[in-house]
Amino acid sequence: MQDIRLRTGAAALLSFVAFTTLTGALLVFIWWLVFSHPLQVLKKIRGAVPAIILVAFFGLVLELTGGGGFSYTARMAVIILVGAWLYAEYRQGEFLGLGTWLGGKKAGFDCGMVAEMAIQSLDLMAADLTRIRHAQELKGGHWGVRSLVPAGSILIRGTLRRADETAELMAVRGYQRGGSCCPLFTTTRRDIIAGIAAVCITVIAFLPVSEFFILYH
Amino acid sequence: MKVSVQGVRVDRGDWSLSAEGTFNEGIHLVSGDVGSGKSTLALMLAGLLTAASGYIERQGISSHMIAFQFPEFHITGTDIFKECRSWGIDPGPVLASAGLADGALTDPHALSRGELKRLVLFCILAKQYDLLILDEPFSSLDCVEKERLCAELSGRKHGITVIFTHEQAFFPKVDRIWEISGGILHDRGRVPDALGRWEHAPAVIRDLVRAGKVPANISRTELLEAVCRT
Repeated sequence: MQDIRLRTGAAALLSFVAFTTLTGALLVFIWWLVFSHPLQVLKKIRGAVPAIILVAFFGLVLELTGGGGFSYTARMAVIILVGAWLYAEYRQGEFLGLGTWLGGKKAGFDCGMVAEMAIQSLDLMAADLTRIRHAQELKGGHWGVRSLVPAGSILIRGTLRRADETAELMAVRGYQRGGSCCPLFTTTRRDIIAGIAAVCITVIAFLPVSEFFILYH
Repeated sequence: MKVSVQGVRVDRGDWSLSAEGTFNEGIHLVSGDVGSGKSTLALMLAGLLTAASGYIERQGISSHMIAFQFPEFHITGTDIFKECRSWGIDPGPVLASAGLADGALTDPHALSRGELKRLVLFCILAKQYDLLILDEPFSSLDCVEKERLCAELSGRKHGITVIFTHEQAFFPKVDRIWEISGGILHDRGRVPDALGRWEHAPAVIRDLVRAGKVPANISRTELLEAVCRT
């Protein structure tokens, strides 16, 4: 999907549907298979599969202790896949354009800019994590659970420091609020079909099938 | 002991880097502009990045280490004493060398970037690696510390040391100069013959070469000797 408005809207709807019902999660998974180029998404967002495995572990614990774990795992896995698709298709500046289009040049611009910065931080954190892993392996340590505390500490401190420096830099440059942005959106036929499909899935997931098929009564 | 770089190429959109050459025992300086590909080549020499084509072959190298430009990435200890221990070295002499002996229980992240850089570099230099790669070792250091680091590096006799830097004022004694320009790694040869071919040479070295006072090497002592030569 090229249009960030349709992509974000579809992702929001599909995530909500997948979270709410198991049937909805199944339909959303089919949508994801059809419209998201699954292999490319999983290849680009390598954290998606480990995240699903982690959720599956907690789902198993939930199933063994109180039940409902399998449903939870299936729904959360589909949400992770939708999130991975949204992130994989992201191009720099899109959220700034979306924010400005949605909320105008003040609050909308600010929200869009915050989203852009957050995504930029994610990219930087991923690059930092690779460097940290390499450094620890070269030092002779094995990358495992015990590495998570020092690595997390470096990542959090680094991200906070960068955020602080960015805020100071913006203040020094005179930034107060809002800004100008004239976003251009490209909407393809495939975008529209995928968007309509997402809306249909939402309707089907929340309305009983008998409401559609009157003859069923 | 040597590292052979054979027809290595990396492409990222419009940007590319091609490298070919052999790094033998001794100290090598790789210079180049910011963004020219120094860190990329450093990662490839360390075996942390795979080239799109070509290969890097290491012969007779049983241990290697890379010092990243940002020292934070190396930190695993909760205080600087434990940090030294995590490198497998005796903290006492290293902390004394790094001028941090009084703060052994300090959280490494509470140090300034310069202090942290010093700590990590001295921990790395306390060990003997067959292949030591230093990515921008002089960044974040003040002039006194740069000079001290140069003295440490100049005295390094073991293995292959490759220094990637765009530093223009402080250098250790080096054996060979390389530079990256136009997306290609160029071998400028052994010092002092390399100095006349070194495009990124600092102005003082260029002026000295032009005046026929070619310094024996590029450390401060040799440059001063050349400047004062009559």
